[in-house]
This record gives sequence, C-alpha cells and structure tokens, in this order.
Amino acid sequence: MLQVNNQVPFIALTSSDALPHRLYILLSIIAWVSVYMIVFIAGSLFPVAADSFFSTIFIMLQFLLGPIMAMLVYLLLVERYRVRQLHFNADRLETLLKNLPGMAYRCFNRKYWPMEFVSEGCYALCGYDRRDLEEQRVLWGKFITHPDEIEFVERSILDAVGKDEPFEVEYRIITREGEEKWVWERGRAVGVLDGETILEGLITDITDRKLTEQALMRAEAYAKAVVDTAVEAVITIDEMGCIETVNRAAQTMFAYTPEAIKGENIRRLIAGDYLEEYNQYIMHYQEDRSSRVASAGCEVMGRRQDDSTFPIHLVINEVLNQPERKYVGLIRDLTLQREAEKEVREQREQLAHVDRLNTLGEMATVIAHEINQPLTAISMYAQSGLRFLDRGNPKPERLRDALEKLYVQAHRAGSVIERVQQLSRQHESHSEEVDCNALIRDVHKLAEVEAHIRDIVITLKLPRLLPMVVCDPVQIQQVVLNLLRNGMESMKKAGYNHGNRIVLHTSGTGAGVRISIIDSGSGISDETAEQLYRPFSTTKDTGMGMGLSISRSIVRAHGGQLEFTNNANAGVTFYFTLPYARSKKI
Amino acid sequence: MTRTGQQVFIIDDDEAVRDSMSMLLETVNLPHQCFSSALEFLDSYDGTQQGCLVLDIRMPGMSGLELQDRLQESEALLPIIFITGHGDVPMAVEAMRKGALDFMRKPIREQDLLDRIHEALDLEAGIRNIMVDREQMMKKLATLTTREREVFERVADGHANKVIGLDLGISERTVEVHRSQAMKKLEVRSLAQLVKIKIDLEKPSNELF
Repeated sequence: MLQVNNQVPFIALTSSDALPHRLYILLSIIAWVSVYMIVFIAGSLFPVAADSFFSTIFIMLQFLLGPIMAMLVYLLLVERYRVRQLHFNADRLETLLKNLPGMAYRCFNRKYWPMEFVSEGCYALCGYDRRDLEEQRVLWGKFITHPDEIEFVERSILDAVGKDEPFEVEYRIITREGEEKWVWERGRAVGVLDGETILEGLITDITDRKLTEQALMRAEAYAKAVVDTAVEAVITIDEMGCIETVNRAAQTMFAYTPEAIKGENIRRLIAGDYLEEYNQYIMHYQEDRSSRVASAGCEVMGRRQDDSTFPIHLVINEVLNQPERKYVGLIRDLTLQREAEKEVREQREQLAHVDRLNTLGEMATVIAHEINQPLTAISMYAQSGLRFLDRGNPKPERLRDALEKLYVQAHRAGSVIERVQQLSRQHESHSEEVDCNALIRDVHKLAEVEAHIRDIVITLKLPRLLPMVVCDPVQIQQVVLNLLRNGMESMKKAGYNHGNRIVLHTSGTGAGVRISIIDSGSGISDETAEQLYRPFSTTKDTGMGMGLSISRSIVRAHGGQLEFTNNANAGVTFYFTLPYARSKKI
Repeated sequence: MTRTGQQVFIIDDDEAVRDSMSMLLETVNLPHQCFSSALEFLDSYDGTQQGCLVLDIRMPGMSGLELQDRLQESEALLPIIFITGHGDVPMAVEAMRKGALDFMRKPIREQDLLDRIHEALDLEAGIRNIMVDREQMMKKLATLTTREREVFERVADGHANKVIGLDLGISERTVEVHRSQAMKKLEVRSLAQLVKIKIDLEKPSNELF
C-alpha cells in the first residue's frame, strides 16, 4: 500500500545492499602494491646513482604514486557503484509505478490540474500517453474528468488541501476512446513550488466494483419490491426468533405497525394453543431441514396484535451467507382457503347425504323386508304368549321362552332402524379412530338382505388383527355400501354367469388399511371407465349416477384414491386405502 | 279339532319367523315341521304326508313360486298359503293363478293365519276324502263290463233307455238289466247318485280346490 505523508517520501529510494568497502580497499591496496612494484622494476632496469637527484625523485615517486593510485582506484570504484545504484533505483521505481493498479501523478493544484509527472498506468487508465499529460497537451481536469464531476472533485480537493489532509474522491472520467469509467483518487498536497501547491496521488479504475455495486443495489431494490408487494408475510428473524424485518403484508396480516412488530419474538405471532406445534416444526427443521416435514412448513393459528386469531401456513428457511444465523419466515393467510375448503366440505357432505338418502330409497323395499321379519316374529311370539296365558293350563316356561325371543327380535328390528338412521342422518363429517373390520361388518349387515334376495353371497375376508384407521365412519360405510351394491348390480347384469360371490377384503399396507370390494360381475369396459366417475352417468336402471362420483370425493377427502382394476377371471375390484390412526393429520 | 295325519309345513329362510310361527302352531296343538329352504322340504317330502304349506315366496335358492311349480308337477295336493315380506303384486297374482290358497303379507295377523291354516287343512282333508271316494269309485267302475259301462255313461248323460238301446243296438229290456247291474256294482240306488259319480270322475284332480 502506498503511503503519502510528510515524513516518508512519495517513493522511498533505498538501496538493497551496502557499499562493498572492504573489496574496494583491497583493490586499492593491490593498485598501490602494483605501482610500487612497477616503479621498483623500472628502477632496477634503469639504475640510477643512489645519491643523485633522480634517485631522490624516484624514491619519492615510489612512495607517493602508490597511495595516489590507490585513492584514485577507490574513488573510481565508489563512483561506479553509485551510478549503478542510481540506475537500479530508477528501474525499480519505474517497475513499481508500472505495476501500480492505476496511475500515480504529481501535479499543480491549479485549474484542470496540469501534470508534472504521471506513471505508466496513465495509458491503461485513460488511453492517453503519459507524455501527453506531462507535456500538458492534455489536461486531466479539462479533457478527462467527466464535466459533471469537475465541481465536485475541485471542492473535495480544495477542502482537503485547506485542512492539510489527504483527499479521497470517487468520480467518473471519460477516456480517450470516449468510454466512461469510474475512478477512485487519493492524494494530498506534498509541498509548494514557485508559490504553487504540488499534489501527489494515485488514481485507480473502480468501474467493475462500481458496476457490481450498482447491480447489487438494483437487485436489492428488486428484491425489496418483490418482498413488499408479496401477498405472503415475509419476516426475518434472528437465531432467538426475534423479528428483524417485516414486509408490508406481514404488517397488514398481523395488524402491527412496523415499529411495534420489530424486536417481538415470532412466537408472539402464533396463537398460544399452537405453540407446541410450532415448536415441533422448528425441531423437525433443526433436525433435518431437507426433510419432508421441514420443507412442508406447518399450519397453525396466527395471532394478531389484538390477539384475534386466524389460520396460517408458516415455513422457515435459513438465510445463507450471513455473519450471524438468520432465518426468513414465509407466512400465508389461510382464512380464505379454509373457508373455501369448508364450503367444499359442506357441499360434499350435502351431496353425500343426498346420495345416502337415495341409496336408502333404493333399498327401501329391502329394508322394509328386513324390519318386517323381526316384526312378524315379534307379533307371533306375542300372540303365542297370550295364548299360553289364555289357555286353561298356562305354560309359564313357554311364555318365558316367547318373551325372551320377542325381546331378541325387537332388538333385531331396532338395530336395522339404527343402521338406517345412521346412514340417513345429515351429519358434519368428523374423523375418529375406527376399526375397519367392524365398519365392514356393519355394511355387510346393511346389504345382507339385499344380497340374500338376489342370491348373492357376500364373503368377508378380514384379517384378525388390523390397526385402527382415521376416518368418518358413516361416509366410509357409504362408500363401501355404494361399491358393494354396484358390484351386486353388475353381477346381476352379468346374469351371475361368473358366480354369485362378492368379497369384502381388508388388509394392512404400508400406507394404511386397504379396503377392497371384489365382485364377479361383468367388469368395466374402457368406455365405461372413461365416464365412470362422472356425475349423473350410470349404467344402472335405477339411481342417480352420483354414487361413484361421491364415493371418490369422500375417499379423496380422506387422503386416498378410489381405484379399480378388472379381475383376471371375472368382475372388477374397487379399492382404496385409509390412513392409520398414528399418522393423524394436523 | 285334532288333525290326524295332517301337519303344517313351514318353509321360511328367516329363522325367527319359522320359530315364532312354530310356537304359534304349538299353542293350537297343530303338528308342524319347519324347513329353512324349499330344497330342504323337497328332500324330506315323499309325497304321502298330508297337511298344508306355509311358504315364504322369496327365498334364496328355490323361491316359493318355484316350489309351487314343482309340487304341481308331482301332483302333490298340499294347499299353499304364501307369505311375503314384500307387497309384491305380480308375484301374488301368479301364485293365486297357480292355485295358491292365500297370499299373506308380513307381519301377519295370527288369527287370520291360523284360520287359513285350518281352512287349508280342511280343504286338504276334503280333497283327500274325495280322492279316496274317487279311488273307491274307480275300483267299482273297474268291475263293470264294457256293456255295463256304456250303459252307465249314457244313463248318467240323461239318455232314455229306449234311446240307449237304439244307440247300442240292443233291446230296451237288455239296457234295463245292464243298468240295474251297474247300479248294484256301483252301490247306488238313484239316478241322481249315478249322475254325480259321472260328474266327479270328469273333474280333473287339480280343480278339486
């Protein structure tokens, strides 16, 4: 990093190695000794009288020339070193400036900032040659700085210079090619020359950063717009569940002002009775955030500021790349959805009720017969009883027998009526834990007489141990009865050519208890299959054609699917699955 | 009144109905047997037992109407009282057309049922008497010679002796001899009795009711 201040020069010129004094002294001594030897050899070649004038000069030469020579050599070497060092430093400075990300400069603090020195980076930065600027053919402030920015840059620099502080500005320039660039400049006044302030500094291209910043801001604005216009409440919370930000929808949904909601714990937004469910959900989320439960969110009751409640769907997700853990909660108001669901449910219930009444209507003769039987028996037992009394010799033991049997038959008639009533009642659908086998047996009783009359045998294939399921027993009875009667009708149509057996079968599967109705009728052709579930379509002589359509919607409301498959030998199997009691739906 | 040799056959697939009816008949000391299906009854019926049937018209397997057909085919003479849980008019019509004694809806008025049963048993007894008489008469008829039989037929038809003699190419006197022989063999004293025998014999057996 480049430092610009008074103490340290703009670029510190320091040599890397110290002067090699010892080597130079050695070389000087060698020079000295060499001179001495040359003089000595010359003296011996040209012998001179020892006491002559020449001899004296010779001796003086011998002693003087050596040190002079040595001194000369030493000075030469040092000078040579200095020159080399200077070259070296200049090179280094050049390299340094070249490698700077941007352009270093020295300029006069005058209008348009005429440059005294600019580094090589000039060309890369603005497309002009450094000499164009140094020779002041191109003025930074006049040709390069964006006209809209000059005033701002000027003011920034003057302010800083006035306070004797470094300045730092970001502004736009226009390159020689006309391209607009964002630059960052930092510099300060370094001294005064001829009464003018000199500035030194560095200018760097920050276009990429600036563009990224702008893109980021745009993206943020976009995200904010999306979040703010979203119908769902968007809430960010910290690790403790404290609300940090909310969007408009959240404020409206929970009837809070933005100030009031911030800092509240998210639990405040959930009705007290449902906190346990919320906690469960958070626990699931923390255990495995990719799990089905975690990504499905939870459905709980929300609580407004005034403590009124409404159904919501909440899903939590962690916001990634944050210094601290943050979560975003998406909350959907389910009020309308629930109302629509309720309406659909009510309609389904009404239709189902109509269908049940219709079925009972169709079965009326059979039911009358079924009640008639015990009534006939009751009547005859009663008459018999009276006769036992009337006779001259009463038979109390026979009378008792008659009364006991009468009692049994009265209950028999009562249970028929009860079954009919159960089906005919309009009831709000409710789920309870039900033993499928008991349910099937009830249906069997209802349909038994009809089967009997038609000479059809209903076979029950029920495993001894079957887990409980969750369902609306009346509606499921209705479905089974519908399917059973359809099967019998189909068998009648087929003229009982494939036998007279219809099987009610229950079995435990992975998902729940499967109930199958296996008839031995004529099967279902592809054409019939197409409009099988269409309301008011029927292949029967009687009936509204609503049965299957209602049965299917009932099964769907129980989270299942009513399906069928033609049997290998004859007839068709209708089946559906009811969920086990333990996987109770929220 | 005791019914010797006669019993009521109750055929109904509903156990309670059978049992209660059985108890009711017990109170009036009527001998009876219960069957849960038409086939069960047919298995045990050898054609000689006397009495009447109380028959449920709708049953799995063989229906009451089918049983009625089967009994008529085998010329069993048991009168049938149909009972039904349904007000099934076409079935009732068919049953009556085929000679059912009555068609009763459940729940049944017990006294009515008992009355009908007695009626049926009387009827059956009557028919049986007629049948016995007829059989005896047939035996007597069999003792007539061909000529006596010819004379008997014509006398019963109301022809005068003279006409008969002309018809058969014999004298009036001879006709008188044959006629008195036939009357002696048939154990009748008057012409009216002779005519009645003729009429009874001409009646087909299924129109006896």
